[in-house]
Amino acid sequence: MPRAIWSGSLSFGLVNVPVQLVSAVRDRDVHFRQLHEKDGAPIETRRFCAKEDAEVSFEEIGRGFETDNGKQVILTDEELAAAAPRKSRTIDIEAFVDADDLDPLLLDHPYVLLPAGETDGVRRAYRLLADVLAGNDRLALGRFVLRAKEHLVAIGVRDGLLSLTTMRFPDEVRPAKDVDGSSRKKPTPAALKATVEVIEALSTDWDPARYEDQHRRRLLAAVKQAERTAEVPEEREERTPTAPADLMDTLKRSLSEAREKQKAGR
Amino acid sequence: MPRPRSLMNAVLVFGDVAVPVKLHSATTSKDVRFNEVHLTDGAKIEHRRFCSEEDKEVPYAEVAMGYEIAEGKYAVLTKDQLAAATPHSDKTITVEEFVPADEIDPVFYDRGYYLGAAADGEAGYRLLHDALARTSRAGIAHFVFHDRERLAALRPHDGILLLHTLRFADELARLDELAPDDAGRAPTPKEVKMAEQLVESLHVDFDPGDYRDEHRAAVMKLIEAKAAGEEIQVPQVQEPEVADDLAAALQASLEAREHSARRRRGTAPKRQPAKRRG
Repeated sequence: MPRAIWSGSLSFGLVNVPVQLVSAVRDRDVHFRQLHEKDGAPIETRRFCAKEDAEVSFEEIGRGFETDNGKQVILTDEELAAAAPRKSRTIDIEAFVDADDLDPLLLDHPYVLLPAGETDGVRRAYRLLADVLAGNDRLALGRFVLRAKEHLVAIGVRDGLLSLTTMRFPDEVRPAKDVDGSSRKKPTPAALKATVEVIEALSTDWDPARYEDQHRRRLLAAVKQAERTAEVPEEREERTPTAPADLMDTLKRSLSEAREKQKAGR
Repeated sequence: MPRPRSLMNAVLVFGDVAVPVKLHSATTSKDVRFNEVHLTDGAKIEHRRFCSEEDKEVPYAEVAMGYEIAEGKYAVLTKDQLAAATPHSDKTITVEEFVPADEIDPVFYDRGYYLGAAADGEAGYRLLHDALARTSRAGIAHFVFHDRERLAALRPHDGILLLHTLRFADELARLDELAPDDAGRAPTPKEVKMAEQLVESLHVDFDPGDYRDEHRAAVMKLIEAKAAGEEIQVPQVQEPEVADDLAAALQASLEAREHSARRRRGTAPKRQPAKRRG
């Protein structure tokens, strides 16, 4: 089982459920450790005071904040915890909202909440909330503090387990209107129809298992090769597509190619 | 808010159509940022590399990358070898196929970006946007960003194209492996009914303006207090009690809701999101 990164209490009205938080994402990245090239020994990171040029232990490290007038304010982790004493132990459900109303841009990291405790009371309270949330398309909104940062969270249910997704605060999502969108000129019905046909021809069901992490595959291949030889893998060729001169022509060509592909039974 | 800086000028390709676009970050962090400092003198903390064997500082030029193949045993790649295994960005976002947009579970969404139309790309941009909206489809695309291949979903959103990088299926935890062996006794119909009433009483229309980072403000207040030379009190936290009697806790919650709703009705004309009870 993945390690719990937080444990505390999920509070729903006056019902408190002890829970553990585990990540719903497994880290499958290929991680490298820095080594000293000469002797192959692992590199250690040591923290030094820049002024004294001496090593510093974790206990002697604080958090420095530079104010607008250039003054430095130092807080310890304990002092920082005073900003939200309760929320570091409890996720308080504030409201329930319709799942469809949440902009996916607000969603950050998915986690799973597991009941912490074997007692019937704990399991049943957990199950009650999961059952009730499964019965409608609602998400519970709450807040809690994880690693000295407050998170707005959306709690729902997946496969009978309570899921928790940390959210960005709405003021952390940039307004879409700040981006140069499409031209105001509506496309001609013919061009739109041709584009829709290209999309239809290239359409398939969403099957996430079909996509492989090429980056991971490539790094693991490089590791294998490093084990065998000291050869350097070749670089890939570059390709730079250009904007088409005639959009309609290109759409027609795309469509016939897509249909060929479809016929060939991809 | 200033116009977001473009992270990359790219060409969006679907079929044989190429549309010049700009990639912008759709989100921005407003966390209060701290530096690591030495508590005794306030000096900056530096991270220095040391060889664990020689106990000597090592310059970055002497660092190689090790992939652990067995405990304490590494396959060693030089930084050049690692760089060669890193894909080169051809600045192309290639849409491979289209899928029904609502089939993608948001749990796959990693980071959100906006695509803006670049010069000469407006017509193609608008076409793809309108056609995706018309068909309720999302484009599934590949591109190289920050030195790695990314899978991405492309959808219309508020008149522009929204790109989400996607997690791979094998990166998601298997929930069936996490579920407790014993799910516990099923709640009684009465408990379910009371819980549903409680959910209903706390239901609000989601209004983003109602959710501000209060913690961010509280941290800034702490910083101001400390700057003014005040002592920060570190409060004790009481552990919440776990109720033995679920039905009684639900009943008490409902009564508390009733009470606060009645009180609010008298003063506030508009329905407000539920205030936290602390």
